[in-house]
Amino acid sequence: MTDVTHTLHLTVQHPRPGLAVATIVGDVDVQTAPTLRSRALEIIQQGHPRLALDLAQVGFCDSSGLSAIIGIWHVAQEAGGSLSLAAVPDRLMRMLSMTGVDSLLPVHATAADVIDSPPASGGSSPRSCTHGGTPRCTGPRGTWSGS
Amino acid sequence: MTQQASAAHPAPGRRPEMVPDPRAEAARIAAVRRYDILDTPPDGAFDRVAAMAARLFDVPVATVTIVDTDRIWFKAAHGLEGVKEIGRDPGLCGSAILRDDALVIPDTLHDPVAANNPLVAGEMGVRFYAAAPIITPDGHRLGTVNVLDTKPRSITEDDTATLADLAAIVLDEMELRLSALRALRNEQERREVERAAREQVEKDKAAIAAFASTLQRTLLPPALPVVPGLELACHYHTASVHDVGGDFYDVFPVDGSRWAFFLGDVCGKGPEAATVTALARHTLRVAAQIDPDPVTVLRTLNTVLLTDVTAGSRFCTALFGLLAPQEDGGFTVTVATGGHPPAYHVRPDDSGAVWVKAVRPKGGMLIGAFPQASFAHATFLLAPGEGLFLYTDGLTEARTTQGAMLGEDGLTGFLHQRTGPLTATALVEDAVTLLASMPDGAGDDVALLALSVSDPETAPDAGVAATAHTTAAPEHFGQE
Repeated sequence: MTDVTHTLHLTVQHPRPGLAVATIVGDVDVQTAPTLRSRALEIIQQGHPRLALDLAQVGFCDSSGLSAIIGIWHVAQEAGGSLSLAAVPDRLMRMLSMTGVDSLLPVHATAADVIDSPPASGGSSPRSCTHGGTPRCTGPRGTWSGS
Repeated sequence: MTQQASAAHPAPGRRPEMVPDPRAEAARIAAVRRYDILDTPPDGAFDRVAAMAARLFDVPVATVTIVDTDRIWFKAAHGLEGVKEIGRDPGLCGSAILRDDALVIPDTLHDPVAANNPLVAGEMGVRFYAAAPIITPDGHRLGTVNVLDTKPRSITEDDTATLADLAAIVLDEMELRLSALRALRNEQERREVERAAREQVEKDKAAIAAFASTLQRTLLPPALPVVPGLELACHYHTASVHDVGGDFYDVFPVDGSRWAFFLGDVCGKGPEAATVTALARHTLRVAAQIDPDPVTVLRTLNTVLLTDVTAGSRFCTALFGLLAPQEDGGFTVTVATGGHPPAYHVRPDDSGAVWVKAVRPKGGMLIGAFPQASFAHATFLLAPGEGLFLYTDGLTEARTTQGAMLGEDGLTGFLHQRTGPLTATALVEDAVTLLASMPDGAGDDVALLALSVSDPETAPDAGVAATAHTTAAPEHFGQE
């Protein structure tokens, strides 16, 4: 049986104004996926709708994790932001590609690649999700601060 | 004694004889009942009060009595062995109960009412009698504490006060006893309520289990139909008996000649997933009746899931296929995918192994997650002797003895190396055997669906005997 830890740690950095990078440590499964979802939504609601999840330290992510990511993507879109992923574990990558979710969610090799990616890509993936609301540069609080 | 004598020697504090007021008496009896003391076994505390009274007054007999409707019952009787109760004759206790202060009769023979009391006139020959009523906080006289002697005597006011104190002690004792009784009753009631609650819970559990079992059966994939020229087989396994799985499949006719099939997997588990399973199954069936085009059907399902109350949080993957029979006995198959693992198209190859092709229309997305989701389809011919194998990822995510997931490559290899016949039944049976050979079996839900076109060359009677097989599902639900 897989040894699954039931805690999830999430730390947030703001490497650049308008971008929040959440580093996730732990396994994302049916137990921890709600934590991932609620913590990520908090970040978005605090005025950082451009969010990237760094999954380099996630050992395991199942379909519960995929569900959480899709939920976060919806909220980020509604807030005029975007969600991108970095260092996606193999199994999740297979799910993203099998389910076509990778066509809506930019996937980067590392968190550094997210930071280097142009901020102008704004509210959607580089391939641009034409249905997903026009990218805006104002968050719920009017302007983005780098904090 | 005569009335005259009585008038000449009135008992101290003696008031005219009273008749109990019926309403007051009814309330008094209710109070006696409340203390629930009548006919209880002897009790050390009351016996000690009686003994103390006898000692303090230096009399042979002292009693603690409770007055019932028609009798005077002895809770304690010092010096009166074997007497449990006497009649409510007036004169002594029967009169003392009717007044709030103590009744003292120095010489009963000088008291016209007492003189006729059986205790006085009878064998016992009581000459001195004094009693203090036992009065409840709300003013009801339950009975009396009595001292009796066979010789006349007089007592002081202090003695009378002592008698009243003893009566008060008896009341305190009765109050304590009552509160202990109440606590005991409350405890018993609490236990009774708990026991009843537990019974109810057990009953509810059984009812819920029966209900869940019924619901579960309605959510299970239906038995497969008989499709002319086609052999069908399926397998359905849920990881937990208590869980309704998130996997689903079905095969059904869409018009006079065409048939549709689907197999899918809801992300998540438990009752919420089951509602999506049911919604997906019914939506796919209904949508196919309106327009059986597989991409259109999946698009409809996407819209329906997104407008459901659980919108945006419940998704599924699915393959939906349409079968159109051809003149050569084969079928044209159009399969659309919504983010589901590929189906495998199999046929015998020239070398005696199996030709395996993944049917993987490019670009089909998860269903129910995105309004802009796109779905893709592929069309191919399923010729006589060929098969199509559909599965949910419980199969490819099952772990081999090496600990790795079987994966698509493992499944492809397994199908390629199979030596058995390429019939739907054999495909499903072999896949079930493969799962059973895994150390943990299938850890997750698994659904398998296989279709094969009867080959007239190898099975001359196949055109007649199209069969449907359902494997293994009953072992998980049959016992309920």
